[in-house]
Amino acid sequence: MKNIIAIIAVIFLLEGCKKDLLDTAPTNALSSTTMWTTDNLTDLGVNGVYAALRLGQNTGGPSYLEPYQYDRLGMTGTNRSADNFMMGTITPSDGFFSSNWQNFYEGIQRANTAIKNIATISPSIATKKLRLIAECKFLRAYFYTKLNQGWRGVPVYLEPFGIADATKPRATEDSVWKVIINDLTDCINEPNLPIKYAKGDANYGRITKGAAYALRGKAYLYQQNWALAAADFAQVQMAGFSLFSDYHLLFKEANEQSPEMIFSIQNISVLGLGSTIDFFCGTRSSFGSCWNSFYVSPVVVDLYENSDGSKFNWENIIPGYTSMSPLARQVYFLRDGLTASEINAAVSRGADMTKYLPVGNEARIKQVYANRDPRLALNVITPYSNYNGVVGAANVTSTYRFPYRTSALPTADLQTDATTFYFYLYRKFVDENSNESLGRNYGPVDFPLIRYADVLLMWAEAINEQAFSQSAIGLVNQVRARVGMPALQSSDPTKPTYVSSQADLRERIRNERRVEFVNEGINYYDEIRWKTWKDKVFFPGSGSSQIWGQNAYTYNWTGDFMYLWAIPQVEIARNPNLVQNPGWSN
Amino acid sequence: MRLFNYRLLLLIFFATFFAHEALSQTQVIKGWVTSSKDNQPLFGASIQVLESKTGAQTDENGAFTISVKEGNHLKISNIGFGDKIILVSKGQTLLQIAVDPVLGNLDTVVVVGYAVQKKVNLTGSVSTISAKALDNRTVTNVSSALAGLSAGVRINQSSGQPGNDAASIQIRGVGTLSSSSVLILVDGIQETSLDAVNPQDIESISILKDASAAIYGSLAANGVILVTTKKGSKNKTTVSFNSMFSTTSPINVPHFITNYADFMRLMNEGYTNVNQSPIFSTLTINAWDSTSKIPNQLNPIGVPNYVAYPNTDWSKTMFQHKLLSSNNISLSGGNDMTRYLMSVNYLQNPGVMDNTGDNRYQIRLNIESKINKVITVGTQTFASTEYIGLGDVGTAFNYLFQTTPGVYPYYNGKYGFPSAPEESSTANNILFYLHSYAGKNQTSRFNTTVYANLNIFKGLVFESKANYQTWFNEQASHSTPAARYNFNTMTIGLALPSLSTAAVTQSMSKDYAIVIDNVLRYNTIISKHHDIGLLAGYNERYYNYYTFSASKVGMTDFSLADFNTVTTPQTTSGYQTDFSNRSWFGRINYAFKNKYLLEGNLRYDGVSRFGPSSRWGLFPSLSAGWKISDEQFMKQFDGWLSSLKIRASYGVLGNNASGNYDWQSVYGASNYSFNNVQVPGLAQTSLANPNLKWETTYVTNFGLDGTLFKNKVSFVIDAYNRYTDGILTTVPIPLTVGTASAPVINAAAVQTRGLELSLGYHGHLNGIQFNLNGNVAYNTNVVKTYKGPLIEGYTTDANGNKVYQSNLGQVSSGSTTRILEGHKIGEDYVLDVYKGDATYKNADGSVRINGGPKDGMIRTPNDLAWAQAMLAAGYKLLPGGTVTKSTIWYGDIVYADKNGDGSYGNSYDSHFTGKSNLPKYIYGFTADITWKGFDLYMIWSGAAGMEYYWDATGYNDNNVRNGFALSKLSVDNRYYYNDLNPSDPKNNINGSKLRLRSSDPQDHAASTFYLYDGSYIKLKNLQIGYNLPAKLIQKALITKARVFASGENLLTITKFPGLDPEMGPNVNYPTMRQLSVGLNVTF
Repeated sequence: MKNIIAIIAVIFLLEGCKKDLLDTAPTNALSSTTMWTTDNLTDLGVNGVYAALRLGQNTGGPSYLEPYQYDRLGMTGTNRSADNFMMGTITPSDGFFSSNWQNFYEGIQRANTAIKNIATISPSIATKKLRLIAECKFLRAYFYTKLNQGWRGVPVYLEPFGIADATKPRATEDSVWKVIINDLTDCINEPNLPIKYAKGDANYGRITKGAAYALRGKAYLYQQNWALAAADFAQVQMAGFSLFSDYHLLFKEANEQSPEMIFSIQNISVLGLGSTIDFFCGTRSSFGSCWNSFYVSPVVVDLYENSDGSKFNWENIIPGYTSMSPLARQVYFLRDGLTASEINAAVSRGADMTKYLPVGNEARIKQVYANRDPRLALNVITPYSNYNGVVGAANVTSTYRFPYRTSALPTADLQTDATTFYFYLYRKFVDENSNESLGRNYGPVDFPLIRYADVLLMWAEAINEQAFSQSAIGLVNQVRARVGMPALQSSDPTKPTYVSSQADLRERIRNERRVEFVNEGINYYDEIRWKTWKDKVFFPGSGSSQIWGQNAYTYNWTGDFMYLWAIPQVEIARNPNLVQNPGWSN
Repeated sequence: MRLFNYRLLLLIFFATFFAHEALSQTQVIKGWVTSSKDNQPLFGASIQVLESKTGAQTDENGAFTISVKEGNHLKISNIGFGDKIILVSKGQTLLQIAVDPVLGNLDTVVVVGYAVQKKVNLTGSVSTISAKALDNRTVTNVSSALAGLSAGVRINQSSGQPGNDAASIQIRGVGTLSSSSVLILVDGIQETSLDAVNPQDIESISILKDASAAIYGSLAANGVILVTTKKGSKNKTTVSFNSMFSTTSPINVPHFITNYADFMRLMNEGYTNVNQSPIFSTLTINAWDSTSKIPNQLNPIGVPNYVAYPNTDWSKTMFQHKLLSSNNISLSGGNDMTRYLMSVNYLQNPGVMDNTGDNRYQIRLNIESKINKVITVGTQTFASTEYIGLGDVGTAFNYLFQTTPGVYPYYNGKYGFPSAPEESSTANNILFYLHSYAGKNQTSRFNTTVYANLNIFKGLVFESKANYQTWFNEQASHSTPAARYNFNTMTIGLALPSLSTAAVTQSMSKDYAIVIDNVLRYNTIISKHHDIGLLAGYNERYYNYYTFSASKVGMTDFSLADFNTVTTPQTTSGYQTDFSNRSWFGRINYAFKNKYLLEGNLRYDGVSRFGPSSRWGLFPSLSAGWKISDEQFMKQFDGWLSSLKIRASYGVLGNNASGNYDWQSVYGASNYSFNNVQVPGLAQTSLANPNLKWETTYVTNFGLDGTLFKNKVSFVIDAYNRYTDGILTTVPIPLTVGTASAPVINAAAVQTRGLELSLGYHGHLNGIQFNLNGNVAYNTNVVKTYKGPLIEGYTTDANGNKVYQSNLGQVSSGSTTRILEGHKIGEDYVLDVYKGDATYKNADGSVRINGGPKDGMIRTPNDLAWAQAMLAAGYKLLPGGTVTKSTIWYGDIVYADKNGDGSYGNSYDSHFTGKSNLPKYIYGFTADITWKGFDLYMIWSGAAGMEYYWDATGYNDNNVRNGFALSKLSVDNRYYYNDLNPSDPKNNINGSKLRLRSSDPQDHAASTFYLYDGSYIKLKNLQIGYNLPAKLIQKALITKARVFASGENLLTITKFPGLDPEMGPNVNYPTMRQLSVGLNVTF
């Protein structure tokens, strides 16, 4: 019996040894009670606000939410897949609206939380706290800008808020701009926020006063407060930002911290922290296998001037081109020396093969792209131009031919992910050869959200909208001079560079922006701000168009209400105080 | 082994000795009686010679000796077992007799929580499954073998992938929105997977379906499965050897169009149908047409046509017949002090796809030793390890429909690439994905329990157990890339990727649990009639999981995969998670005159998943039974009613199925970089709910157990009501709050109700023994509370316009399957297809809104004109919007305007259909028939009353996409109408499938058009066996030898057109059909 008691005693002793058995805590995350309580945690929290700039990024397939992907909605780009927005079939239930809404508000929520807790909890030194709060205010202003650009009037929350508090109605568009301008004014007035970080500064990528001026100028632009906008843009110049000399090298990793970059999403070669542009704008001939999910639109390609500054015209190279049917036109894009089967296929697709030159077909089409604004060749992979990619293990220079035969050397056709189609492809930001990036979905090049050329052209716009003036022309010419395009002038009407009036210059500035910012996600917002979106993008016959004008799918304008985004249907159901933008029906 | 040999020698001696006697009329037979359930010897069984009325009884080893005459019959009877009659043949001297236990018989014992109980005294709803149902099944795991065997237990195998083929188990349907997984205990210890156990080691399985599970309190809300493994038997050493070989083949495969010329024509049809250019030229189509007639001829560069001009059947390429083998040796035995069981199992399951097989080794050691009168100690220890092929099944199925017959899989050591010039270069070579990785994927388990039982004094027992169990998976894989060739031109279509991008990944995941379990039990009988049982216990468990993985890129050679040979680190990641629980529990059993039965349970549970203030919960239960047939007034029915018991139970159970740390709000990693240096960041990733607490289930059960006609017929009827409240779930939160995940809250209530019936018949006729069992269960669920009622309808907005409003997004979550108060869990929420009467116009010539096409499909010019007239009259046909070839045209469907707002098919027209993917009925049937040495066994299992929403490109919808597959389901009997040539012989205006189209804004709104009835019944198992005559085998020292042929998944009867109704609307690794032969030998 003694033995038994001893055994039982031992067993119970074994059990009693872990009193806190039920107190477990995660080891990969931090409890909210400890957050913000140290200097390090303060830094981590602010870094988390910056990381909200990456929300919506998907490294597995295009999210259609990343900044550059907005080109598909504008005049400069198009979507390989049928795009609901452009086909006019999008409804307020579409994930495009809900994801954007949620991501931008997440950024605001993080900024609100940081601003409040840095002020009240963080033990960091005062000057640092003031700088960090200013950075977070800028970021909050940036996210409100994104919201207001789309929806034009959204609920404003400036404090952290919970589930039960998310019931505010929409503020007016103007009052949201005021909130943005307030935050940015706070940044500008904050002595601890630097004006600019030098290249290589450990803080490079953080918010500066220069960025705050640029973003505030943009907000004034939306308010059509031209004078204040121009004044802010002038401050950006004063801050020491300037154009980088080489338009091609500007978009390479070496120059991602050039003085032209004012505010950019920081990319490094780490999955989840890099750029996806290679993946979704590159092709199978880019290293790995990229998807060319987005294309350049022929409309913007045709907008690139001839190198003397005159307008490009197809008829000057291929007489009769514009009056042919798009299907028939494809003959001009076919490669030399087609096989019988390729000819048969081309005929069945509707090509007018009477125009085919077995030798010289390629040379003829190449003339179209010769002697043009140099930005065309730098932004776009045009027919029969070369691209320095990677095929298999080797760096291979491919040529963009049609129809595609093989990616292998010696001929090395550029292979897209959809070889039966012939679209203009993006060259800008798409890495070349194997040394420029480690992986298709985490390219290293920072993505500019605001760069100085943008500021110059917004500045020119702000001045021109006040009055037609030489100073506005001069600002545009700075951008043109960098790529060797002849300067605009208002003195010699015989030259193609002649600008006659405020309206003329307005169109020139807009075109300059269209050709300068291809693949930078700027054009769509420009067109809806200018209310030119319908005319420039939804013209009769417009669509996701192959080079010769044949649409993979057709754009459909369903009404002016499309200028404003739809409030997400689910959010209206959860917050009855939200009022839908007129015209949208579910 | 010495003992064993000695006994056999004795047998041989007897055999030869009595051989002389065989000449005379009388012969002496030496025999053994065992239970067929567990091969245990039966003591005290009576042996009667029917002709001479002489008899004998078995001794404690189950042995007997009796004198009989040739041609006499022996009747073997024993309480709890069915009678057996055996004809004595000439010269027979040795007899091994296995008798079958009878359901509902008096002494049958059932394992229940922390105890065993006589089946007749059960007051809860408990099903049992004996080893017999698992014997000789070639199934690769226990879980899938249970299908059809128990009323209300749904066994659903949704993948046949070796190593990943466990079936899901649901007891009495789904009664919660959180986890509905059942608690599994193996020899009293919680296990994460039923399939950790070697099927051949199982002695019995009990399934606790109602408040009988309450002793497990908060773990048991979804039911409990108790597995008991075999023990050795005293003084009898048994070696049994089971060997099985089976062919494997998929029970079904997707049926793609395999003739490439046909495929190309169909593709072109889909493109021209919507006014787009055809993809394929006639030249290419003709090339395939002509070469497919001369497949073996060589093309100009010497490649045979069948390779250069492929017509690949990807289903045939990917799914194959293979050979599976399973071998098992068990050794059991013991003496008065010690009993043991040892077993080894080796399973070689190649699956039905290349490089996806599973080689599994399982071992077990059960030992129990009596140290003295008081103390007994023992262990149950088992371990397994398995190696699973590295074929990339996930990617293969992801791309299975993203290829065409125009890609030849593999030829002369090379992988194929699309051959036709117009084919999408992204049409995949699926076979390659099964070969794209090499390395190792090993999963191991180890589980050991050490226990001590103390018989402190009569009736008082203390049992203590300690258990350690661990599961770990180790993987080391590297890519084995290959170039792809266009075999038509023998040129490289896709080059070999660079070594610099080739990746090597190593990962390790491990979990472990430590369990301590103590039980004090006391049983006594007071003044004859008061049978009292008391139980008190304590249990604690700690569970921990961690994982680590790292990858590098830049192999120096494709054959060198060690980390040290790879150049660039790429990713490293890892984390751990844990949880723990602690419980006290008790039970009182009381029986008066063995007729009135009462049981009460109480459990007090704490779990780490909830905050300190709400961590503990109390879970009581009560049940009662009345053996009414034992009452005097029931004796009058004795003629037909053998036994009848009424029982009722009520209990409160819990469920803690939230995340491990959901009550705490956490900041998770959200990293960024400055100046090209990565910086860690934190952001709130989940919202907290400090008040999180137990989900509570209230179960009421009424049951009736009975037997009729001298126990020949048995039945069990159960009716239950289960109400689960405070369900742990997340409800939709405003998007404005951000991306942090919604907090888990105790938000919803679900009620499930059901009826279960099991019916058995046990009898014999002309020497044929029947054992027939059927069960059927009805189950239905309804969400009782969620986020409030749905309110929708017309209101007038600020501008005086009538607008349709709905709060669906606020009160409901999901998309095509939704959660809403008053509806089923996951009820289908879709559009109706329009139904009209095809009269088109009103008397005044205006368009008649109810006069459209009868089945909603635009088939005739009148239908089309109606659609145009509808638009002209201001109605909307959505989502297509317009009537054109590329939007709504011949061969498309239009949707019903359910809410009457003039928009046909906008999102407000979706409605709750009353259907979900959970079955209303599940049923099973088993037949066990023996005749002389032969036996026949079969299991049917099925489910009915569920609907699946299935709309999948390449499998069943009408989308054609360049580079994607076309399925016969989409193509056969599709609508086609050439409106330029109404007499086109291709026209098929009565087709049941929609027209093919390359872009589709209309036909794929979620609608009833893509809802399918998923009901099925399957012949899960059929086996025919033959026990070799004792005479033949006894000379080889064998006591039992059975050969058999068996088939698994032989037949599926269903209307569901998809791969497998059990799998649902998915195309996954198919379950296997197996045809096997096997041998069981017992020494």
